[in-house]
Amino acid sequence: MTKTPAFRSKILVLSVCLLIFPLVFSDAFYRDIGVTVILAAISASAWNIVGGYAGQVSVGHSMFYGIGAYTPLLFYQLWGWSPMVGIPIGIILSIVLAIIVGTPTFRLTGHYFSMATIAVAELIRIFTGTWDFVGAAIGLQGPATARGWWDLTFRGELPYYYIFLGVLAVLLYVTYAVEQRKFGYYLRAIKTGERAARSLGVPVRQTKIKALMLSAAFTSIAGSLYSIKTGFIDPESGFGILVSVQMVIIAALGGAGTLFGPLLGAIILVPLQTATNTWFGGGGSGLTYIFYGGIIVLIARFEPGGLFELWDRIAPARWRRSHAA
Amino acid sequence: MLLEAQAVSKAFGNFRAVSDADISVDTGEIIGLIGPNGAGKSTFFNCLAGDATPTGGRIIFADQDVTNASPEAHARLGIGRTFQVPATFEDMSVLDNVMVGAFLRHPHRNDAREHALRTLELTGLKAQAHQGARSLGTPGRKRLEIARVLATDPRLMLLDEALAGLTPTELQDAIKLVRRIHEMGVTLVIVEHIMEVIMTLTRRVLVFNQGHVIASGKPEDVVKDETVITAYLGHGHRRRRGDA
Amino acid sequence: MLFLQVIVGGLLLGAIYALFSSGLTLIWGMMNFINFAHGEFVMLGMYAALLVVVWLNGGPAVFGLAAAIALFVLGVIIYSSLIRHVMRGPMLAQILSTFGLALLLRYTAFFIFSANFVSLPQNSLSGTVDIGGILMPLAQLVAGIIAIALTIALHFMLTRTTIGSKLLAVSEDRNAAMLMGIKPNRMQALAWGLSAGAAGIAGALMAISYPWSPSVGETFGLTAFVVVALGGFGSVPGALYAGLIIGLIQAVSAFWLGPIYKDIVVYALFVALLWLRPQGLMGKA
Repeated sequence: MTKTPAFRSKILVLSVCLLIFPLVFSDAFYRDIGVTVILAAISASAWNIVGGYAGQVSVGHSMFYGIGAYTPLLFYQLWGWSPMVGIPIGIILSIVLAIIVGTPTFRLTGHYFSMATIAVAELIRIFTGTWDFVGAAIGLQGPATARGWWDLTFRGELPYYYIFLGVLAVLLYVTYAVEQRKFGYYLRAIKTGERAARSLGVPVRQTKIKALMLSAAFTSIAGSLYSIKTGFIDPESGFGILVSVQMVIIAALGGAGTLFGPLLGAIILVPLQTATNTWFGGGGSGLTYIFYGGIIVLIARFEPGGLFELWDRIAPARWRRSHAA
Repeated sequence: MLLEAQAVSKAFGNFRAVSDADISVDTGEIIGLIGPNGAGKSTFFNCLAGDATPTGGRIIFADQDVTNASPEAHARLGIGRTFQVPATFEDMSVLDNVMVGAFLRHPHRNDAREHALRTLELTGLKAQAHQGARSLGTPGRKRLEIARVLATDPRLMLLDEALAGLTPTELQDAIKLVRRIHEMGVTLVIVEHIMEVIMTLTRRVLVFNQGHVIASGKPEDVVKDETVITAYLGHGHRRRRGDA
Repeated sequence: MLFLQVIVGGLLLGAIYALFSSGLTLIWGMMNFINFAHGEFVMLGMYAALLVVVWLNGGPAVFGLAAAIALFVLGVIIYSSLIRHVMRGPMLAQILSTFGLALLLRYTAFFIFSANFVSLPQNSLSGTVDIGGILMPLAQLVAGIIAIALTIALHFMLTRTTIGSKLLAVSEDRNAAMLMGIKPNRMQALAWGLSAGAAGIAGALMAISYPWSPSVGETFGLTAFVVVALGGFGSVPGALYAGLIIGLIQAVSAFWLGPIYKDIVVYALFVALLWLRPQGLMGKA
């Protein structure tokens, strides 16, 4: 994807839409959905780096999300510091965890890595539930009222929306930069043909680990944003398997390995989830996840490239040619 | 001596695919590797490329012991290879495929892109630069693989049946391409079944059978060698020789 | 004496782990494919047993067989409709396919059966047996022995029968097998059937003695993976040894450290295995 005029104008339109959305739809209900969409887009886009571009499917990414979610509230609850302090700490811890998980597993086939991510995430979840220091099963809470702007405890949704949007923009820019550089080419080569990549001098293992580290860092940020906004975290909402699943399905639905796939997936799935939760009632979480499972299977079976690839296939040839990289 | 393999063996459990194979390649040579199917040449080839680790013997490239080196290390040292079944990056464009190779010596995107375009020009693929690799037929894919490896600026190129399955015209073009690559200063080791390629391109040939090197020498001598003929045709041919 | 009982109990449960894990290792060995929904197959076997008891008043033999057949059929269906198609595709599709399937099966079970734990009513296998001073519930003893027998039978089937060698031929070299007139698709479908069937019957065996809910699938899936990783991917004998070992470790840990550690130990063992010995006890990496 190069900077063709058509591409740039599309980005402009998208940016404007995202920027004015909460001003146009000013009802709290819509703003709340907007915030949730952006947050989901952030974590899915972070997952996308290692899962979509590099093709290393992590189904336990909540391990990074949870760390990022816990650290801000931990620093607040223990020492009364601003939750913002916890954000960089969370990033560092997540990166370290990425190295620990990636180093042995990337030596082996992809399935090992995937299974390892489930196991590690579950282990951390169970462990967190028994560790009193981090609130055990009860979890942690953030500031009830803001002591200052640095507590990031706002009354309305608006400030959160724009902060999250800013983070998303940074993440997408970083992803774009990766896409254009050697690192991005190497990731795609690894995803498509690891053996051939090796024969061309691609340092496969190190590249995968780097991708995981980058992905972990941004996933951690997403977790931090979540807990700062909600003011609450517990083992399930931080490290639960459904956190991991949501990242994967949103990215895969929109198009794993594409720049805007995760955002598209979030725009479609989050409102849909809100709607089904309302239809199916409070205890409808079971049905929502039957729905999720079904969608994942359908994507895997019929269109692993997600909606972006589907569009690529059915769009007329003329349109496609004008967008040739 | 650019590449030297000394008494290389590769065993899979009890099965010895390669036994005590030697090869020495000087800079600038074109060596052919022939032999019946299952003779061990592909396994030997994989050992040279770093895809398989020999269970015995040593492989030395440019005075460095590469016996246990990874394929990535091989590439960085200057050994490139193509695959018998083309392993192009199907989801990427022709240009992007070659850029992956180019990035090895040209870490910056613009340099890599220019180098890749030059390589595409050299290999006659410039017109298809923006097409998906998937859209090329098998001959195109083989050519793309060659281009991709060439972009890594190898000193030695290992071609694994890169000219198989081509029409007579395509074959001539491919032979010209290999010659051009050789003229650029790349040393070549070629595994082939097509006699014409061996006869016209190579100066020296090694014949494999059942894991051993059974003959080596100039192509025209080797094809007349008794042991070689027996290896390909079996012992029965000796009774039929009276007709020649 | 109590400790000895714990050990025997652990081994008997481990035997059942071995049985369902051998199904997972069979698929891995044959197709280089990990079924993330394997634990759900075990869970469904347990519910199949429940349904047979509730609807047909069947005894252990009946519901054991029913679970095996039902899951066998499910395995074949899943292979033909889903797995066969994603095998040729990208890794993302392969992993997502069974991962999504696991969610689908798990939450459908939650929806149909609710999250409450259930157990089978008393049947002919109730009561305890005294073996040299060790008191074992008859049900657990019988289940464990049957599990070992079936695992060994599976191994013999793979290595000593014609159909077994056909299955192995496909896993060794698909193209060569085709040239010999073996249909890889059929063999792979059979393998999926066997794998699911083994999981189903293991579930039924476990249902006799232990309560369960739809949530157990996740733990069983991971347990199977640990067993297969320890025993070596593709090795049924390895799965047998590793299953017994895991069952033992789990029982002893629960005894010494407390029941919560039952699951933690399995996860921790897997993580340790990854770092220390990914190729397991007996198999290829």
